[in-house]
Amino acid sequence: MKKVLMGDHAVSHAAMLSRVQVISAYPITPQTYVVEELAEACRDGRLKAKFVMVESEHSAMACIIGACAAGSRAFTATSSHGLALMHEMLHWASGARLPVVMANCNRALGPPWNILCDHSDSMSQRDTGWIQFYVESNQEALDTVIQAYRIAEKVLLPVMVNLDGFFLTHTAEVVDVPDQDQVDAYLPPFSLPYKLDVEDPHSFGAICLDDNFMALKHDMQAAMDLARDAALEADEAFAEIFGRKYGLLEPYRMDHADTVLVTNGTITGTAREVVDDLRRRGVSVGLLKVRMLRPFPFAPVRSLLGDRERIAVIDRSVSYGLAGGLACEIRSALYGHDHGRPRVFGYIAGLGGKDVVPSDIEEIVNRTLTYEQPPRDDIWIGAGT
Amino acid sequence: MQRKSGPDGALPPGSITFSDMSWNRTGSWRYLKPKFVRKFSPCSESCPAGNDVEGFLFLAGEGRYEEALAKILQESPFPGVCGRVCCHPCESACNRRISDDAVSIQGIERFVSQFEPSRPPQPGEPREEKVAVVGSGPAGLSCAYHLRRLGYSVTVFEKEDVLGGMLCLGIPRYRLPRRVLNRDIDRILALGIGLETGRRVGKDMSWDELLAGRDAVFLAIGAHAHVGLKIEGESCQGIMPGTGFLKKVNLGLPAALGRRVAVIGGGNTAMDCARVALRLGSRPVVVYRRTREEMPAIEAEVQEALEEGIEFEWLTSPVRALVDDGRVAGLQCTRNRLADPDDSGRRRPEPVEASEFVLDADTVITAVGEAVDLAVLPHGLKVEKGVVWIDSWGRTSMERIWAGGDSGPDQRMVVHAIGAGKKAALSIHATLRGNDIEGIAEPLRIGSSGSFSMERYLQGEQGGAVPVREVVRPEQINLDYFEHVPRIVQPRRAPSDRVQGFEEVNGGYDKNDADLEAKRCFHCGTCDLCGNCWRFCPDLCIRSGDVPGMNLLDDFHCKGCGICAEECPRSAIVMEREL
Repeated sequence: MKKVLMGDHAVSHAAMLSRVQVISAYPITPQTYVVEELAEACRDGRLKAKFVMVESEHSAMACIIGACAAGSRAFTATSSHGLALMHEMLHWASGARLPVVMANCNRALGPPWNILCDHSDSMSQRDTGWIQFYVESNQEALDTVIQAYRIAEKVLLPVMVNLDGFFLTHTAEVVDVPDQDQVDAYLPPFSLPYKLDVEDPHSFGAICLDDNFMALKHDMQAAMDLARDAALEADEAFAEIFGRKYGLLEPYRMDHADTVLVTNGTITGTAREVVDDLRRRGVSVGLLKVRMLRPFPFAPVRSLLGDRERIAVIDRSVSYGLAGGLACEIRSALYGHDHGRPRVFGYIAGLGGKDVVPSDIEEIVNRTLTYEQPPRDDIWIGAGT
Repeated sequence: MQRKSGPDGALPPGSITFSDMSWNRTGSWRYLKPKFVRKFSPCSESCPAGNDVEGFLFLAGEGRYEEALAKILQESPFPGVCGRVCCHPCESACNRRISDDAVSIQGIERFVSQFEPSRPPQPGEPREEKVAVVGSGPAGLSCAYHLRRLGYSVTVFEKEDVLGGMLCLGIPRYRLPRRVLNRDIDRILALGIGLETGRRVGKDMSWDELLAGRDAVFLAIGAHAHVGLKIEGESCQGIMPGTGFLKKVNLGLPAALGRRVAVIGGGNTAMDCARVALRLGSRPVVVYRRTREEMPAIEAEVQEALEEGIEFEWLTSPVRALVDDGRVAGLQCTRNRLADPDDSGRRRPEPVEASEFVLDADTVITAVGEAVDLAVLPHGLKVEKGVVWIDSWGRTSMERIWAGGDSGPDQRMVVHAIGAGKKAALSIHATLRGNDIEGIAEPLRIGSSGSFSMERYLQGEQGGAVPVREVVRPEQINLDYFEHVPRIVQPRRAPSDRVQGFEEVNGGYDKNDADLEAKRCFHCGTCDLCGNCWRFCPDLCIRSGDVPGMNLLDDFHCKGCGICAEECPRSAIVMEREL
């Protein structure tokens, strides 16, 4: 059924449709509506789940880790400083191989104090062993949360679904909300090979020193590799039932494009318009949306971008002292491909909610086409410098 | 790479164990070992009647009211009475006072007293010896009750036609309804106790007659003799002793009060007299020589008297009765100031010069203490400071005669009389059996108090935790585990309503309040299976049983870390050196 939903409510609908059994969360702008609706749904009986109130995001994550370890499908949502506070527990969830799902409503970290969108929160957590998606629309947010459980439970790794604060969370769009029956067919009931059970006692997270620690971490890395296939399978199966499909990467008008813009999140939607406009004006430019950041879709990036002249990566965060994170990953994927080709230009834009408008993206394309070589440092768009 | 694997041969998804550590017998590291003990709670220690207060609060908190009542009846036959008029030293000693306020032990005793006991008291295996008890007050009936449970044949002699002594004749019905008193007395008599009422031993019959054919006598004649004010004009009409006044009213006889009644004294008798006078339509004023702080009356009684609008003249002493035509027509009084403390620890009153004034009064009730009627005592019985001399086991100077209660040196409170009767019963029992009383009683002593447990004598130790002769001090309570919960106030009738008659003032708890109040008990020194030790034990050595105190220890794995003892909320675990 089609509904007009804000991104936050698209996420809470997805959690309900996924029949989550335990929710624990601490409210933070712009995530608040997600858990607000889930709390109401638990109270009024729309959702048969336990909503656990906590005093911090660290506890919220710890709580769903416990719930998941006991065999429950568990969910939380957070943002910005909340995600940062969870950092330790993020490692615990992945290290314990617990398939929890979290929606992160991307927001800048202060100071300066800010509540608006950028990706510095989730980009800071790339090394925690979580699968990461970045979505472009409210529909994609809803669909990806449902897919996330299928992927997570297949490979036993947690999934973070990132949606841009305010641009999605607080913006209403038409969303096709699937029927519960269809979601039930897509997402079987959750079960874990080993769970907290007094009838079958085990220690979880027990100490491993030089014996099995590396072996278990190597298994985690292997599970990340499997997650690419699992995500493709989940997307295919989703398309069969619901008729929508996203891929790990989404190429847009990349046929014969010498120059390709690489984006993620909501900037992609703006970039589509700019690409259409430039194509009309005869500029040979395409667009690649990176939907899955972890595991990084290394091989498809290489094959889709390897024979282009110029790549312009737009990052909504910075790894201070280096460059934009996405640009680094793209460069990493393309390194050694073909002596100096393609040339990867890094752009920093849209930090702390700064709007990235079509003229900004057009400027990015112009600069990319103008410079002979990428400058040593990323180019900041809209920083007043 | 060495890969330890799960049962299916593969490494599990996370670090998950598939065997336990029971092979690692960490018990060998230990030199201290926890021991589950049962210590005395301060409430139990301070109960002169020897009640297992913690024990009955536990049962009451579980909703096992019939068992709670049976527990009380092991030690005291007067739950209905004590649930209303006891001065409750247990509550003054309650460790809960360091958190918020004492548990209302009296309120819970009162609540459970309305049930039928799960095990009614039974007479013991019949013995040949016969014992006479003189006086049917709380001391006499308590002694008779316990002697009967020990199997003796007991006859109670009472000079009045009614039983109960001061409980019946002294305490007004709005504090202790007659049906409540009779219920307690009837339960005692149901054990099969002989009664001789209306005959005064030492007057209507001789002590020799009483002693003939009897192996022991417990003398508990109380203190009913009048103590005068020793002021000029005291013998005129309109001045009456407080106990005499209360007795008349309690027996339904006319009391002949005037309109303005001065009650002299600051004890419970004074409060009773003033409040009864108010209920009979007079306007009473209490005249007390010290301040409210020093009044010996139970605080709640003073509070209730004030609520009822009774006037008080503190720091005031009568000097002379003004007499008109043979009848009191006023009271010349002096104001006092408080000087240094006297032997009782209370500050001594000292008259203020030229402060005399006349207090309007046409009736004066004196309630400055009661004396033992020495005239009726057996000839040659040793008396000291106006009371019957007894040793610490209730023995008098004469063979075969024991004494206690108000006629002895005990504190003149109901609960002290009940305790004195019990102690005398144990002492009589030991003597008649040819045993050393200390040998019998010492193991029954509750803490370091002068009260003893009849339950332990009759039933012995009941297994479980090791009893330890130690009273739990407040600092041994782990307050981290107790939330602040205010004491529940028992409902009382409105002052304007209660002064209309003699209906009971205190309404008592309902089930809900009794339940909540009983659950406030810390259970000092007794395991109540809270499970904290089990929860904290890092070696899973503690097993929880279903009887309080039945916590077993896994000797092979307990390292003696002491966390259990440290985290026990109620000090029921001690660490002992093992080597």
